[in-house]
Amino acid sequence: MTTTAAPKKLGLKERYALMTRGLDWQTTYQPMEKVFPYATYEGIKVHDWNAWEDPFRLTMDAYWKYQAEKEQKLYAIMDAFAQNNGHLGLTDARYINSLKLFLTGVSPLEYMAHRGFAHVGRSLPGVGARVACQMQSLDELRHVQTQIHSMSNYNKLYDGFHAWRHMHDRVWYLSVPKSFFDDAITAGPFEFMIAIGFSFEYVLTNLLFVPFISGAAYNGDMGAMAFGFSAQSDESRHMTLGLEAIKFMLEQDPDNLPIVQHWIDKWFWRGYRVLTLVAMMLDFMLPKKVMSWKEAWEIYAEENGGALFNDLARYGVRPPLGWQQACDDKVHLSSQAWSTFYQYQAAAPFHTWVPSPEDMDWMAQKYPGTFDQYYRPRFEHWAEREAAGDRYNNGTLPMLCQVCQIPMLFTEPGDPTRICYRDSVYDGERYHFCSDGCKNIFDHEPEKYVQAWLPVHQIYQGNCFRPEADPTAADFNPLLEVITWYQMNVGVDNAPYEGSEDQRHFRAWRQMTTSNA
Amino acid sequence: MSFDLTIEPLGQTVGVAEGQTLLDAALRAGVYLPHACGHGLCGTCKVQVVDGEIDHGEASSFALMDFEREEGLCLACCARAESDVTIEADIEDEPDALRLPVRNVTATVTRIDALTPTIKGVVARVDDPDGLPFQAGQYVNVQLPDRDEHRPFSFANSPSDPHQIELDVRLVPGGAATTWIHERLQVGDTLHLAGPYGMFHVRQSANVPMIFMAGGSGLSSPRSMILDLLERGCTLPITLIHGARTADELYHVDELTSLADRTPTFTYLPTLSHEPDGSGWAGARGFVHEAAKAHFANDFRGHKAYLCGPPAMIDACITTLMQGRLFERDIYQEQFISAADASRVRSPLFKRI
Repeated sequence: MTTTAAPKKLGLKERYALMTRGLDWQTTYQPMEKVFPYATYEGIKVHDWNAWEDPFRLTMDAYWKYQAEKEQKLYAIMDAFAQNNGHLGLTDARYINSLKLFLTGVSPLEYMAHRGFAHVGRSLPGVGARVACQMQSLDELRHVQTQIHSMSNYNKLYDGFHAWRHMHDRVWYLSVPKSFFDDAITAGPFEFMIAIGFSFEYVLTNLLFVPFISGAAYNGDMGAMAFGFSAQSDESRHMTLGLEAIKFMLEQDPDNLPIVQHWIDKWFWRGYRVLTLVAMMLDFMLPKKVMSWKEAWEIYAEENGGALFNDLARYGVRPPLGWQQACDDKVHLSSQAWSTFYQYQAAAPFHTWVPSPEDMDWMAQKYPGTFDQYYRPRFEHWAEREAAGDRYNNGTLPMLCQVCQIPMLFTEPGDPTRICYRDSVYDGERYHFCSDGCKNIFDHEPEKYVQAWLPVHQIYQGNCFRPEADPTAADFNPLLEVITWYQMNVGVDNAPYEGSEDQRHFRAWRQMTTSNA
Repeated sequence: MSFDLTIEPLGQTVGVAEGQTLLDAALRAGVYLPHACGHGLCGTCKVQVVDGEIDHGEASSFALMDFEREEGLCLACCARAESDVTIEADIEDEPDALRLPVRNVTATVTRIDALTPTIKGVVARVDDPDGLPFQAGQYVNVQLPDRDEHRPFSFANSPSDPHQIELDVRLVPGGAATTWIHERLQVGDTLHLAGPYGMFHVRQSANVPMIFMAGGSGLSSPRSMILDLLERGCTLPITLIHGARTADELYHVDELTSLADRTPTFTYLPTLSHEPDGSGWAGARGFVHEAAKAHFANDFRGHKAYLCGPPAMIDACITTLMQGRLFERDIYQEQFISAADASRVRSPLFKRI
């Protein structure tokens, strides 16, 4: 055996450090604290930015190469899907509603994540963290673009896709994901890293992506599946950035622990509330089911998240407040949410329906002890009313939670028959919350959340009408006006699935592919 | 037919025989490449082929995707050279690693000491004229008689004499290898050994005080490391905390006590977790992590810590060290992993600990 030593080549880590470190300098024209004005006000103490361990070693030139290849593959699949009328291979047109939910509710968040990481990358004084944030910022921009492109195929053929960006800033339930990200992006850079980099990208991302992407795969949507895989291949990088960010903060100074712990409590609960939409999609909107919300929660939150919090315990971090309640509520969440959307069908740009008897059996099997007891009777009642031509629509707008902005639809911990209400008084005004979690968040920072743009309040204040609307007209219908202001095609986008244009078109087009009728 | 395998970023060239995997060749030459499953399924040993031709062998198409093959990646545990090959691995240059070649040797047992009721010290003389050089902290695979299996044991002695090895072996109830060593192995018997293996070694170039935390027969590597450090004149503070259940399970006490008496920079701190009250034991009581926390007043900053012992002890020690503000980059461990430990769901928060 021969062993010779040639001059050493640099290791990947050393090479990466040489290419990415030392790019910054001490400013002299302006003091550093003016160049990085957001670096200290949150109270996070950093003594040595050089202790930041680059979570991945990717240079920009390599980054472009990787991403270019992903794009090539993704667009080839999307084109093939469109050219082969892939939408007619879907299990059922009901599936498309989960895409409407994703495009209006999630894709705009990707864009906000792009902005957020660009902002944070500019704000953090450490160069390693800045490079990592820059790449994630670009990833997020790619994600929103590929999502728009892959779903634009559906916009040509199905209702409810045309005004997603407009709707995101206005429609009542879309204020849930919107306010979540607005909250994060208006926080300081370190809180943003815990909010999005850690809590969302690490603790909760699997619960968002896996259900949607597996749902796409199970229901024949190659296009959505491909953008999901393409985005997921970036997520591992995002997760490692979030993990490095939290480790870095916790290791830099013991005073950072209580601040980080509060952010973990807050952003776990904020993210969990947003996932209500995913729970409902998973259990009620997929024609062919992947797994129940309860099963997804058990794998991705209880098992994987539990392992993470076991490891974080070494730093003195405890599991987030609200963790146990989220685990307890896994058997109620989706049914409570879908019931709400069913009642407010007229105000949502996607279709809802009463689950079929088979789907209710599936729910009963997945949720023994709760579905048949608490939710089946309600759905069966609504099915009877539909059969009698008297579909139930709730014409009274719901009270919204001041923090998560979800209607007050959640029940008391331990009692699924009572709606949970909490409130706090701040500056002489009373504010309402859906849960202890949201109340805690408000009480810690009331001056931020009193500014919330709550859709229902705004409607009642008359701020959700078109400029030309005339509320004094004798035949003025405020709810119809709001929906028009949302840019929904009234009676089309917001119709019940039974009898909708989507249902008719899908049935007719599919028949054309299999017969000569 | 054999080829040259050059491993970047080390720039080290080793021989690789026909049919031999790149991983095997690297390990046998003392170059540690990250690896786990050893048969092409997990992808831990993925490396870049910079130059030359390889055969991918049985690498799984999930662990090594087609586009990765096109980009010249391979799994070192399955890949075989078909020409001279240069690979680039994501390994950090470990300036203190000696990278000794792995060899197969035989050794003759010269002494067997009953160190405690459950631990035997097996001393053997390596028959090979070159001996079996190892770095303190490494281990050797011992071939079981009558079956094609081996078990790893840490070197417990100083590496100064390459012909001498000592393995301190705890009897594991029902364990094939330890039962054989405890009940059948005799002075004069021949051991079949392959080694040295492992990347557990002292990071001496860091030049900071060291804490060694050992539980039970996990004393082997720390003892070897400390003997080596002191023989080579190390003057940095060294603290050894050795935990056992009871006083009769402590061993090498006299040696370590007298070493501590002679060496002002070396502190030896045995601690007992289950010693009966009133037994006359005057030393520390409690677990290793508790003794460490008390001794260092919960402040471990500025040290490097080396941990060796059962998983529960390692786990408790890591938590204690981190709460005393010593973090992953300064903690090194040799963990004896059982199948149950390996199947535990772990988060990716930590890489090495």
